Amino acid sequence: MKILNPDNLRVPTEPGKTPCLLGNRCRDCGIVVFPKMPVCPSCHTNGAMVEVEIGRTGKLYSHTISHFAPAGFTAPAFQIFVDLPEGPRIFSLVGAGLPVERGVLEDGMEMQLVVEPLADTPEHRDELTYKFVPANGART
Amino acid sequence: MRDVAIIGVGAHASGRFLDKPMKALAYPAIWGALDDAGVKATDINVAYVGNSLGGLLTGQEGVRGQVVLQHSGITGIPIINVENACASAMTALRGAWLEVASGAADIALAVGVEKMNVGDSARTIGALSGVSELDLSELGMQFTTSYAIHPKINLKSRMAEYGWTAADFAKPAVKNSYNGSLNPLAQHRRPLTIEEVVQSRVIVDPLTLLMCSSISDGAAAAVVCSADIAKKFSSKTHITIAACVLQSGVYRLPGDERPDSATTSAYAAYEKAGIGPEDLEAVELHDAMAPSELMLYERLGLCGPGEGPRLIDERITTLDGRVPVNPSGGLCSRGHPVGATGLLQICELVWQMRGEAGKRQIEKRPKVTMAQNQGGLLLGQDSAVYGCTILKS
Ligand SMILES: [Zn+2]
Repeated sequence: MKILNPDNLRVPTEPGKTPCLLGNRCRDCGIVVFPKMPVCPSCHTNGAMVEVEIGRTGKLYSHTISHFAPAGFTAPAFQIFVDLPEGPRIFSLVGAGLPVERGVLEDGMEMQLVVEPLADTPEHRDELTYKFVPANGART
Repeated sequence: MRDVAIIGVGAHASGRFLDKPMKALAYPAIWGALDDAGVKATDINVAYVGNSLGGLLTGQEGVRGQVVLQHSGITGIPIINVENACASAMTALRGAWLEVASGAADIALAVGVEKMNVGDSARTIGALSGVSELDLSELGMQFTTSYAIHPKINLKSRMAEYGWTAADFAKPAVKNSYNGSLNPLAQHRRPLTIEEVVQSRVIVDPLTLLMCSSISDGAAAAVVCSADIAKKFSSKTHITIAACVLQSGVYRLPGDERPDSATTSAYAAYEKAGIGPEDLEAVELHDAMAPSELMLYERLGLCGPGEGPRLIDERITTLDGRVPVNPSGGLCSRGHPVGATGLLQICELVWQMRGEAGKRQIEKRPKVTMAQNQGGLLLGQDSAVYGCTILKS
């Protein structure tokens, strides 16, 4: 197992520490972006971005069920956007264990980050990435 | 800057042409445009060739423009290869326009060509995912998903916000399928009903198969020249490029109150052309997923928020309406060979403005028209490329 993109995702080995995303905060204007970029996309300052731990939780912004999978992925599958409390709105997949059906997710629900293989396929079984799951279990 | 005229256009039909390589698709489009303009291959001073997926799908990673143009007898001039996702052809047109407007060239050629059918649709879809920023596509995000739930489009939220229904989503597909049924170059030529669009297979909820543009091969070309010499070559309706605007998307965080990039590019084009949305008499727009046409009505200023379905209900954007939209059939019916689409839109507008559109001819020949083309997807919630061209006759 390896982390698909270690620059985006921190998986601590110390007990009690939980995984998180790694973003950038602009020292000049304060905005937070994910993934990281060296120049602030809002105030366009170069060299003012500092690494911040973000995205342990989020709020579901939107969701759909994709019935067609690109090579290396499976369908049907949830695809979602999540609003992180630090600011960014990011694309994500949903963690395993939920029935992929209408009514299981509801926009606005609290989500939490989990670390799982990118997909249960030979291409991606050994690549760990971030996904989100409902913080309090599915709606139904 | 000099005024620039379009004196010739040509297109290959859109569809599935497994046995035709890119250069065979491009040849009839290029010579269609040269013959239409009344120019020789040796009259062309410079050429821009738009293509998006040919490197990955055909293996011709470099010099695709030179390969395609040598096959058509155009050599020994500056040839510029353009990759700008689904807006590659509009970007090629902008290059040709700028060459002539600046005075660097007198006659320029713009070509768009795409070869998407390679006998393996998973490979094609994979290549198409590559026009989204890799951080998105490596997680399995697809274009259809972006139209369904991406913050800048989010058709699902429209259902909640404005009460749009699945039948509303189907309306542009039905309207455009009728237009496409009259277009001999269209990929899909069967008129659809609301029921069959709604009931076709769900691809990405709430988008069904018949709301999505499909995998397509095709090509289109245009010859542009300085407006003052246009009459020397062509006695057809004099058509000028009143604006040719290109913008990249901008990084947006939630709550960003700035106008959408489709809006800002359209209004930049209106300003350059000295017109407003109320002056448009025909529009070709980027309905990669049919319901996005409803959203683009708002963004181009054709209606207010949430009013999109009404423009079809009241027959404002139908072929017999005040401002027909996608008379060619649009991306879903005419076809969306991605790197050719922007110039396919231009071909249609030129034919309509000249009165050469056959059975789908708009009764009152339009004099002011717009082609809106966009492509790619970036982190930060915007498309990568927005293009908008206004033509006047
Ligand atoms: Zn900043």
